[in-house]
Amino acid sequence: MRSTRRDWLRMAGGAGLASLQSRLLAGFEDWFQPATTAPDEQVLITACGICDSACGIRATVKDGVVRFLEGLPDDFQGQGKLCGKGAAGAGFLYDPDRLKYPMKRTNPRKGLNEDPGFIRISWQEALDTIADRIKFYTARFGAESLLFITRPRPDLWVRFMKALGVVNRVDHRDECYQTDIVVQKYTTGGKSWCNDFENSRYLLLFGFDMLTKTKLVHSHGILAAKERGAKIVFFSPHYNTTARIADEWYPIRPGSDLAVALAMIHVIVTENLFNQEFVDQFTNFRQYEKEIRAHFAQYTPEWAEGLSDVPAEAIRRIAREFATQGPGIVPLHKKSLAANYMNATQLAHAISILNILAGTVDRPGGRYFPRTVPIPGVDAIYPPPAYPKPVGRRVDGTDKLPLVREVDSGSFSTLADGMLKKYPGMIKFAFFNMYTVLGFPLPAQMEEALKTVEFTVVMDTLPTDTALLADIVLPSITYLEASDLVPREYNAKKPQVVVRQPVVAPMFEAKSIGWVAIELGKRVVPDYFRTPSGDWINPAALLDEKVKRAGLGSSFAEFKSVGIYTKEQPFTPRTTFATPSGKCQIYVPEFAAKGYDPLPVWKPKAEQPSAEYPYYYLTFIPAIHRRNSTQNNPILHEMMPTNAAIISRTLAERLGIREGQMVRIRSRVGTIELPAHITETLRPDCVMVAHGFGHRSRLLSLAAGKGVRDSDVIPSRTVEEFVAAGNFGGAACIMDAVVNIEPL
Amino acid sequence: MPGPYGWLFDPRLCIECRACEAACKQWNSVPVGVNVRYRVVRIREYGSWPNVSTVPVSSACNHCENALCARACPVKAYVRRADGIVLLDSSRCVGCGFCDQFCPYGAPQMNRRSRRMEKCTMCADRIDRGLQPACASICPTGALTWGEWEKIRDRGVASISGDPTPNTTRPRIRYVHAP
Repeated sequence: MRSTRRDWLRMAGGAGLASLQSRLLAGFEDWFQPATTAPDEQVLITACGICDSACGIRATVKDGVVRFLEGLPDDFQGQGKLCGKGAAGAGFLYDPDRLKYPMKRTNPRKGLNEDPGFIRISWQEALDTIADRIKFYTARFGAESLLFITRPRPDLWVRFMKALGVVNRVDHRDECYQTDIVVQKYTTGGKSWCNDFENSRYLLLFGFDMLTKTKLVHSHGILAAKERGAKIVFFSPHYNTTARIADEWYPIRPGSDLAVALAMIHVIVTENLFNQEFVDQFTNFRQYEKEIRAHFAQYTPEWAEGLSDVPAEAIRRIAREFATQGPGIVPLHKKSLAANYMNATQLAHAISILNILAGTVDRPGGRYFPRTVPIPGVDAIYPPPAYPKPVGRRVDGTDKLPLVREVDSGSFSTLADGMLKKYPGMIKFAFFNMYTVLGFPLPAQMEEALKTVEFTVVMDTLPTDTALLADIVLPSITYLEASDLVPREYNAKKPQVVVRQPVVAPMFEAKSIGWVAIELGKRVVPDYFRTPSGDWINPAALLDEKVKRAGLGSSFAEFKSVGIYTKEQPFTPRTTFATPSGKCQIYVPEFAAKGYDPLPVWKPKAEQPSAEYPYYYLTFIPAIHRRNSTQNNPILHEMMPTNAAIISRTLAERLGIREGQMVRIRSRVGTIELPAHITETLRPDCVMVAHGFGHRSRLLSLAAGKGVRDSDVIPSRTVEEFVAAGNFGGAACIMDAVVNIEPL
Repeated sequence: MPGPYGWLFDPRLCIECRACEAACKQWNSVPVGVNVRYRVVRIREYGSWPNVSTVPVSSACNHCENALCARACPVKAYVRRADGIVLLDSSRCVGCGFCDQFCPYGAPQMNRRSRRMEKCTMCADRIDRGLQPACASICPTGALTWGEWEKIRDRGVASISGDPTPNTTRPRIRYVHAP
């Protein structure tokens, strides 16, 4: 069903922002209309692919070339808008440095200073070679010798890995929101990205800059809440966009958010300020009341003040306000402080408890679960033969973190330890799909680890640093050349699906990872890539079948022309939750059974400032870059080509550092040298560096050699450290480093 | 809508995503790497830690009522359309840079490659098609809006702390909620 912009304005999801905009735009109403197109232009609906929120796009294409990208008005997530990254999307498509065809290396010596001597090969040769290698290593060394560094999608790619019995698939989520997945499974019944900010009255934000540096959908929600008079409280060592919008901002000591959260639970529990009705009906509070009250008695606001620099009376007052002036919400988001300290698992648990005590889980104004149109995967459409049971050792050591394994996650931060020390030589074959070594703590160590691998394949859109270490590189399509169905999962009070379609035909010889899965599948595990009638699985037919079974139309071609589907249905709050007990679990008996803390316990961050390393080291992702994948986009590169050591004026004066002067940042594992940028917006005991820079691949004509790798001073970890510290959610600890800084 | 037109900017709503900058580059095919950016977002800092505040400002050519750039140009490369939009015909530019010296907003910029000045057109081509300028049309939060100057001129204030005086050039921009 297509709805007009005016209908959309009335929907609950965007009502706050819409009223805000309509008020601001009073007088411009007649100009606020969908674009008109010239006769030689075509407008196609698709979904952004830079971040997972995947805002709907209206792409104007002129003479087969993308002319302009703008938001899709009816989309719940982008709400008719795009961010800076999204607006610059054509820069990825037309990047002259793109990988254009499969290549193989001719220089056996691997290293960033070695010319790989890449020569062009056919897809046929590339696929045959990769398939032979996979078969050889699997037969000789078992499936444990294969390492796939990729997210678990799309479904065809997952099928390929499952059919191989892959043991070692790793992705970056431990650096993002993995602790939240692990914890929410047992506290509320699952990780959700949906925050009903616009109907919330009290927003408690822990961590980095949610408003700018995450998703547009969250920015829309927070601004709508602000417009409706909700109170916003923000804890961050950096004064940023979110601090500017917040009613109260506290320059919290890095890594101490957990103390504040625990003290807030203390106040709410001891003063009985929680949402009685919700807590009695839908949680296990009463069952474990004695344990809960006894446990949190120790975490007084006065205690937390000493650890966090947040005044005790502020903690007490905010806890009371949050509990009584709700609905209150505490979001948790990737790249926030929450996700990246050694104590992040505990913080994810504490934050989850705050939401439960506020009684807003899956309620208006709270964190809720997305209402989605079920889109069947390939396994539902073409049931596979039984998959082999994965047998072998986990190279990242996460077999010692069973709850991480349960959610099929892994660990970037411990991978190098496994490859170099625990199981040297075990990994014979590595397949990187849209990841580079820049994404790992201590990338130089990861490069060393990669050199121990006999055969490496890199599939990417760009010749990244990792591609230079590959034996075969495969050219990937960009999201603007891809076909998919993208359900709304970040603002989904009712189900909505947006199409992803090629706005231009795939360029050069670029292919999708789904296509690669089928082609490798045919060669290695053919039984898994046939339809019941015995033909090879055809991706186009599969997509048609998904469209039909999800009720989106009669074919993908038909849905492409419509572009967006919204299902009208009321929002019915959950009364049972997908936890083992069916209730929201404050006390988690399953954690206790595994020997973990059933209630969140104070733990300090892994490393504390010392005489040798007196400063906290913080990293962040700038608003206009996405991880380490956008620095070569011509538009984004021009807006922010490099990074700097951001320090406070107080610290700069103490150390005699001038604006722009080169400085050396040193941690126990590494050193970086870069220019200083002096600000008044950062705690004087912190040094902050943007992530994503320091690409070395000379084939990236813009990004190469610009800036430094923030992660060169971030220690990688061992799984034993995580186990000892109670970090059973496997947070990567990328914010834990402490450093020294000196002028050069 | 006959013009003149102007910008209205509300720093409170700006989330510093810089979609306006990116959309400007994309729509106008502004060359990259030659030091030309028609629209730029800058963050101004005030105060000192921890009593600090920031104000983001998205700025482009303000298509001033008294366009000093046009007056300074010795080769008359600047023209003002009937609707008030100030356009620069780069093909006539000799690269003397006088316009840059007179513009208080840094709007005309020297293309390092062509050695000619370039400047924001207010997306006159889009306006002629009944569209908003790319920057304002994409702004996710409504921080940057665009419209008839008649409806903007009395809103908010003419300048914010750190701006040059608006009295001489009479820029067609107003700021809501100036700090």
